[in-house]
Amino acid sequence: MSLRRRLTLSLVTILILFAINVGTHFWGSVARNESMIAYRKSVTAAQLSTEIEQLINDQRQTILILSTIRENTGDQLDQEEYAQAQAKLTETRDLIARMGKLSRNVTREHFARLEEATETLLDEWQGFYDNYNDPEYHAEADDPLAYLEASQKLKELEQHQAFIAVQRANIIDRTIALTDRITLLGFVASIVLTAILGFILVRYTNQSLKRLKRGTQRLGSGDLSYRIDIIDDTGELGDLARAFNDMSEKLRNAMHDVSQARDAADEANAAKSSFLANVSHELRTPLNAIIGYSEMLHDELSDPGEVDRGQFQLDLEKIIRSGRQLLSLINDILDLSKIETGKMSLHREEFMPAELLEEACEVIEPQLRARNNTLEKSDFTTLPVFNNDASKFRQVFTNLLSNACKFTENGTISVTAREPDGHPGWLEVTVRDTGIGMDADQQKRVFEAFVQAEASTSANYGGTGLGLAISRDFCELMGGAIRVKSAPGKGSTFTVTLPSDPESTHADA
Amino acid sequence: MSKTILLVEDNELNRDMLVRRLSRAGLDVITAGNGEEALEQMRSAQPGVVLMDMNLPVMDGWTACRKAREEDAIAEIPIVALTAHASAEDRKTAMDAGCCEYATKPIDFPELLAKIKKLQGDD
Repeated sequence: MSLRRRLTLSLVTILILFAINVGTHFWGSVARNESMIAYRKSVTAAQLSTEIEQLINDQRQTILILSTIRENTGDQLDQEEYAQAQAKLTETRDLIARMGKLSRNVTREHFARLEEATETLLDEWQGFYDNYNDPEYHAEADDPLAYLEASQKLKELEQHQAFIAVQRANIIDRTIALTDRITLLGFVASIVLTAILGFILVRYTNQSLKRLKRGTQRLGSGDLSYRIDIIDDTGELGDLARAFNDMSEKLRNAMHDVSQARDAADEANAAKSSFLANVSHELRTPLNAIIGYSEMLHDELSDPGEVDRGQFQLDLEKIIRSGRQLLSLINDILDLSKIETGKMSLHREEFMPAELLEEACEVIEPQLRARNNTLEKSDFTTLPVFNNDASKFRQVFTNLLSNACKFTENGTISVTAREPDGHPGWLEVTVRDTGIGMDADQQKRVFEAFVQAEASTSANYGGTGLGLAISRDFCELMGGAIRVKSAPGKGSTFTVTLPSDPESTHADA
Repeated sequence: MSKTILLVEDNELNRDMLVRRLSRAGLDVITAGNGEEALEQMRSAQPGVVLMDMNLPVMDGWTACRKAREEDAIAEIPIVALTAHASAEDRKTAMDAGCCEYATKPIDFPELLAKIKKLQGDD
């Protein structure tokens, strides 16, 4: 469950409890009020009863006195006295009517009985006053029956009113006690529930936050493979944990990429340093001969006696040869530098590949002899005419043949060239030797610039390790490709595929 | 102690040049083309000083040096490394292999002669 839903649920629960409390309070108020009104009515009715009782008592006394006076003296009732008596009677009737209004529901029965009894009594009294001055009238004024009846009914009503007042008071007490209890219960329940919900919420949030914190610390300390345990939550904290894990994954990948890039850069740097060391080494070897022979010839010239002119010429040729070797080395380095900076361009011209291949074979003739290698050639005459860079073409095959010779002794070097079936306008040349060969790792790196197949290879066979890098780049510039197949001790086969024209539409091989 | 100098060099031009210059300076020079040949020559001819190129076919100069130092009969023969490797690290590698002197190509000939004389004088 999500954090928001949990919080909302807690809030709703607490609000419901609060509403129950408030509702109870209002209900208690209303209930108390109702009872209070009824209680007040009962009290008022009790007062009325007392007044009525008083009034009836007074009038009965008056009537008894008047009746005695009439019998003994025969005094007449004057107008004023009559009006006074009438007023008393009317007041009594009014009070009873008021009582009737108060007793509308609960004491209706008792009131009806009282009303009946008082009606009889008051009618009797009315008759007494009306006929007082009539000597014929025989007043039954001291008849106690009606009075007693009315008195009795009044008392009953009073008692009933008192009983109801007590009942109402009890109800008020009970209501107050009940609402107090409900309020207290609701209050305690609110506190307990709030505490429990808070505790659960804090515990759950704390656990998840602890995991997140631990994950952040582990990640911060560099452990990029650390993943937060899946938090059992479909809400915000679960989302956060998943987002965190995603971030860790991406960070790890990014760090991996960076570290790979750094390794590659380090490797390239190391290769460059070792290349510079190799270049320095290779430049120093011909320079040693040039300086050494020059100094020697210089010394010999200052010797007394004839100079051996033939020997002198041979030595000068050695100096020239070393100088040329130095030049070609510098050219190689410049070529590679141009290729690396993208400044090497293609100079297209028409040429016969057969002629250039023959030339390359002638150039390596001295190397072949020096290492006692045999050269085998296929028929070059049927090859297509090329419109490509002749100089680069020549250099590629001179390099390949020179390499083959360098790594082969007492072996065979074979050159085959043909127009592949189904690819007119293309040329496939293979240079195969029976030399020391290469393992798979060496084959992978053999075309890389600045890298020689092996440090010791350079030591044993010389060269800057640039020839193949330059050859590959030249082949690609000419629109073709070069590949190698080899095994240690089994010789190497370099295959070059080139289009006759780098922009020709049928260059589809 | 023998006054013979053993020159170990695989490059024909450099070997020819050095042999002639050393002979012209009055030294007795014999040659070897790789590390194995060098060890054989050291055993048989017991030269006074060995001038050894480090980049050699079959067995390189460093290996030959180490092997020479392990062989009692030839362990004491001083070896001067002649190499086109010019860095301080290369110098240390050669010294660690057992060379007692180091000369960088292109060779400063008078300096090389002085080193040879000093080594011959030591004995």
